[in-house]
Amino acid sequence: MNKNTQELHQRIQFLKEKSKEVRIHIIDMIYQACSGHPGGALSAADIMTALYFDILNIDPNHPDWPDRDRFILSKGHACPVWYACLSLRGYFSKEELKTLRKCESILQGHPDMKKTPGVDMTTGSLGQGLSLGVGMALEGKLIKKKYHIFVILGDGEIDEGQIWEAAASASKYKLDNLIAIIDKNRLQMDGFTDNIMPMGSIRKKFEAFNWHTMEINGHDMKEILLHLEKAKKLKYKPTCIVANTVKGKGVSYMENIRKWHGKAPSQQEYEIAIKEIKNKKYEN
Amino acid sequence: MKIKQANIATRRAFSERMLEYGAIDKNFVVFEADIGYSTYSHLFGDAYPERYFNMGIAESNAMAAAAGMAAGGRTVIACSYGVFITMRAVEAIRTFICYPNLNVKFLSSHGGVTPAIDGVTHQATEDIGIMTTLPHMKVLAPADTESAKKMFDIAIKTPGPVFVRLMRDPLFDIYDKTEYFELGGSKLLQKGKDITIVTYGDMVFQSLEAAKELKKENIFTEIIDMYSIKPFDKNSLLESINKTQALLVVEDHQKRNGLGYELSNYCLKNKPVIFDNLGLDDTFAESGNYYKVIEKYGISKSHIINKAKELISMKGK
Repeated sequence: MNKNTQELHQRIQFLKEKSKEVRIHIIDMIYQACSGHPGGALSAADIMTALYFDILNIDPNHPDWPDRDRFILSKGHACPVWYACLSLRGYFSKEELKTLRKCESILQGHPDMKKTPGVDMTTGSLGQGLSLGVGMALEGKLIKKKYHIFVILGDGEIDEGQIWEAAASASKYKLDNLIAIIDKNRLQMDGFTDNIMPMGSIRKKFEAFNWHTMEINGHDMKEILLHLEKAKKLKYKPTCIVANTVKGKGVSYMENIRKWHGKAPSQQEYEIAIKEIKNKKYEN
Repeated sequence: MKIKQANIATRRAFSERMLEYGAIDKNFVVFEADIGYSTYSHLFGDAYPERYFNMGIAESNAMAAAAGMAAGGRTVIACSYGVFITMRAVEAIRTFICYPNLNVKFLSSHGGVTPAIDGVTHQATEDIGIMTTLPHMKVLAPADTESAKKMFDIAIKTPGPVFVRLMRDPLFDIYDKTEYFELGGSKLLQKGKDITIVTYGDMVFQSLEAAKELKKENIFTEIIDMYSIKPFDKNSLLESINKTQALLVVEDHQKRNGLGYELSNYCLKNKPVIFDNLGLDDTFAESGNYYKVIEKYGISKSHIINKAKELISMKGK
């Protein structure tokens, strides 16, 4: 193993361990709140871990640092994964996680840029995050900053026509500082995306809008890291990474099951989930 | 006050001021949705192409992108027609601009039935109701060239979202360059003892014309141009209705959820007086000559005269 390979290996091992902590917080937070969306938070957990503990150029002590990379969670309902990452990075104390969805909490049911340190943009209404990212990327270009804007979208929310308005405008302005990651877990609230609204090849659609495109396994930490790093270097066009994921990833009884889109676990389910994640019965 | 035919529409006046202001303030940017030659935002775009973003016929994306750009503190002027801003894109405005209270200002042309000739699809007759309902949103409606220019200055200097309702065609000029306007202000255009007419936009002229006729019959009308619709000038309203004891609100908008509803609610709580409002009566208008449309749909001078007399006759009963 040469030095570079060894270094990469260490980063990957670190992120794999970190993703366990993130998943435990997701389950814990939703259990405490008796409400929330575990399925889509777990499917995005490995990508979010890679972003927040490796890729993003951020400073938790200075959430408003002007040169920071920006992150937008277009699928805002998955915010427990974001709150877990922000807390583990030190944006706020872990105690706050217990207040999710409660009155006076800094952790709203869907992300709120005015209440939560580290949240750059309010989201929650699906299909809008890519447009918000386009605006942020235009700002970055206008003031000639080098930062990137990362947007995580669900594969259900691309049913919304506004996603494609945003795709066209990002292409028009050659926003190579904009990186969209599609968390393609193949499920939306009412069922499988192929049944609810078949969208065909997401990658080909973005390609047709003149984006750089990639397709990865969204739970393979090495693939995630290498492609995110590559995406940051691509020029002249925005980049779309289609990440194939499993909804509910990491908790056996939640994986690929529709009802775990927006449901809190019972005490028994909670205990099983935490045990499974700790014992890591899944591959990433 | 000298009323004269206007040379330019308020949409153009606003955009001309935006162009001038572009040289004073180098920081704001402009978003357009492919009607830049109609909103006249192209004037700014021609002068400052790097600060002008034409997002195509896609208003929801334009407004959400405006929010993304404003998220870091930048001021954005977003331009389109009232129907598209306040209905097509309303969720992006509500959730991503008003909720985080971002500095996006709206150049909203074709307010009310001023685009009468274009028909109902282009007539923004619900815009005031929708925009005033949104928390953090401020709403302005200038009546003429000079006030439209001043509203640009107010909008850009006021923190948070500001909606400015503008008109399609040149109508009448009322104010000269020295007039002062402010957020929450109003203009007492004419003093009178018998009835207060509160109005805004194109209805200011109709109200002034009605008052002339009423004066011939020894009826003295007080007219307030309530150009700042949210927040509105409560003190001037109270002062006036304390004197006249009768209020008629005239607006080029649906009666429902317009300024009339707002002021009737306020008066019921604070100072009940004889009241009525003129506006579209739960109906859409139609395509046609502007003057014929306002006559047919009950918001022209003749309707104001009749309604004012009716209200005055109810006083003291």
